[in-house]
Amino acid sequence: MPESEIASALRIRPVDELDIDAIVAIDEKIGGRYRPEVWERRIGYYLRRDPEASVVAENAGRVVGFMLGEVRSGEFGLEEPTGWIEVLGVDPDHRGQAIGRRMAEAMLEYFKGQGATSVRTLVDEGMGEIAGFFTSLGFAPSPLRPFARPL
Amino acid sequence: MNARTTYLPDRFHAAVERWRDTYLQDYDFLMDNWEKHFPHEPRFELCAFRELGMCTEIECGEFKGKPKYQRASEMHPEQAGHLLGAIKAQASTEFGSIQQHRLTLARAQEEEEQFWILRMMAEELRHGYQMLHLLAEDDWSSVSKDSGADMVEEILSMTTGSHLLGAFNIDFDSFVDNVVFCALIDRVGKYQLTLQRSSAYQPMAESMPKMLREEAFHLAAGVVPMRRWVQEAAKDEVYVTMDMLQRALNKWLPRGLEMFGDERGGGTNVRYGLKPMKNAEAQNLYYEEVGKVVRDLNLRYLRARLPNLGRDEAETLLDQVLADRETRQGIRCEDLLHMPHPEFFRRRGVPAFKRVGAAGETFTDFAEYRRHLAAHLPESYLASRDFKDYAEALGQVQRGEMDVAAATSRMPALRRVGGACSCSKAVRWVVDAPRGVVGAGAVEAPRVTAVQAH
Repeated sequence: MPESEIASALRIRPVDELDIDAIVAIDEKIGGRYRPEVWERRIGYYLRRDPEASVVAENAGRVVGFMLGEVRSGEFGLEEPTGWIEVLGVDPDHRGQAIGRRMAEAMLEYFKGQGATSVRTLVDEGMGEIAGFFTSLGFAPSPLRPFARPL
Repeated sequence: MNARTTYLPDRFHAAVERWRDTYLQDYDFLMDNWEKHFPHEPRFELCAFRELGMCTEIECGEFKGKPKYQRASEMHPEQAGHLLGAIKAQASTEFGSIQQHRLTLARAQEEEEQFWILRMMAEELRHGYQMLHLLAEDDWSSVSKDSGADMVEEILSMTTGSHLLGAFNIDFDSFVDNVVFCALIDRVGKYQLTLQRSSAYQPMAESMPKMLREEAFHLAAGVVPMRRWVQEAAKDEVYVTMDMLQRALNKWLPRGLEMFGDERGGGTNVRYGLKPMKNAEAQNLYYEEVGKVVRDLNLRYLRARLPNLGRDEAETLLDQVLADRETRQGIRCEDLLHMPHPEFFRRRGVPAFKRVGAAGETFTDFAEYRRHLAAHLPESYLASRDFKDYAEALGQVQRGEMDVAAATSRMPALRRVGGACSCSKAVRWVVDAPRGVVGAGAVEAPRVTAVQAH
């Protein structure tokens, strides 16, 4: 199917509790691990916080991608409301169809409507593809650097 | 959030707090442990929210495109009457569900799930408060002789047995009810709130978005524990079995379907721009969605029973077992959950008292049907007044002693039994007590501060 047709068939909507299984399946396809307990708790968290902030992409009634995040403020000295994109996944069989971009655009628009003035995410240095994805959306490295140490 | 926070006048606010002290006694416990279970999440607040920036034109019906109504007095009396009924019904469900949940909340086996339900109860209280705000803020004198205070009292005086919709008049028997109720009955709430989001009455429409956001979690508070239970059941744990869940589904789904109203109705609400969908259309969507919940649970069960099964294989196996009812890979058809037929165990609407079985089979013999119900409903529920009332009415219908309409009207419903409130002179709405039986909840019904303050 041409990309333009796929784009028009794609539906971006807020995540709900019936998406858990589809998200588990995408995670399993990507990482090879079946982790329903992880996603039950995680989706529960986002639904509690703000169910409209996180989205799934649906193609012909089947969930083919998800992007989870929310607007928060007061963290890491960031007093202004900030949108956070925290988790994303696209079904490997549906990559290259701008699904991630469509989901990100929907989330960014929602964040803006909620008063967020910026959006942030953290990307592992080893994940060049993800970094490229965010760069293509206009994200740039931020002076706010993550620091970590083992315990 | 782009919303305005508002509050009821002090006396009504105090009345809701008194109601909370009676029916949501774990409220302080919730607030004391909020950070433990919901770290960094905004603390619950008893208030009403009005979403800003919503559509200001009527979205459906014969007045489509005209400005939405800001006040009930701008509406045609019949239109306002329908709206008032919907607000009261919505308010009744919110307070009613708390009265049900509290009965078995303490029986939860997992603290996390208990706190989810407790938070959900607090949010339902806020939803009820939101509806009372609509009643108290506007002047409904064009369609009701009751003052705002009367209406607040009316709602806060209701107890299990006197609520406007059947699902809220049934006592919970175990924590399974708390959870399945969230998954099924709150799902009806989601539909109603979604429909009312486009109400021609602007304050109603503006009340819905925040309620809908909270409702999304309430559904998860039902579905997630059910997913965990079926996983445990697949491992032969005995705490919550598939049979128990099936029986709970059979108990609640018929009541959920009836919450949409008669299958032939809803046209007036659409015409008046109060809801964009007729009853049957919304009910069908709901039934389909519950079907997805059941399928989701079955897949979770299969993958827990057969850990080597991939997702696609589990889907195929599920379809095969359901299609030919043959045992495959050790999975029997009866191991799985099944959608009760939409006409099963109905007491309202087109299928009322039709004696349709869980799988859609019909029964001509009353005694046989009663045995079928007993075999498919939770054992503890069979001992309830609600079930006995239903079975007795069914018998009377079968014997020709009562028609279906009369039998339907005998099911738990609000009855105005008169009696004057000493302080407000309002006609009081009291616990529905057919045949002189007073429900346990009636004893505990609080006197409403709002009215006492008169």
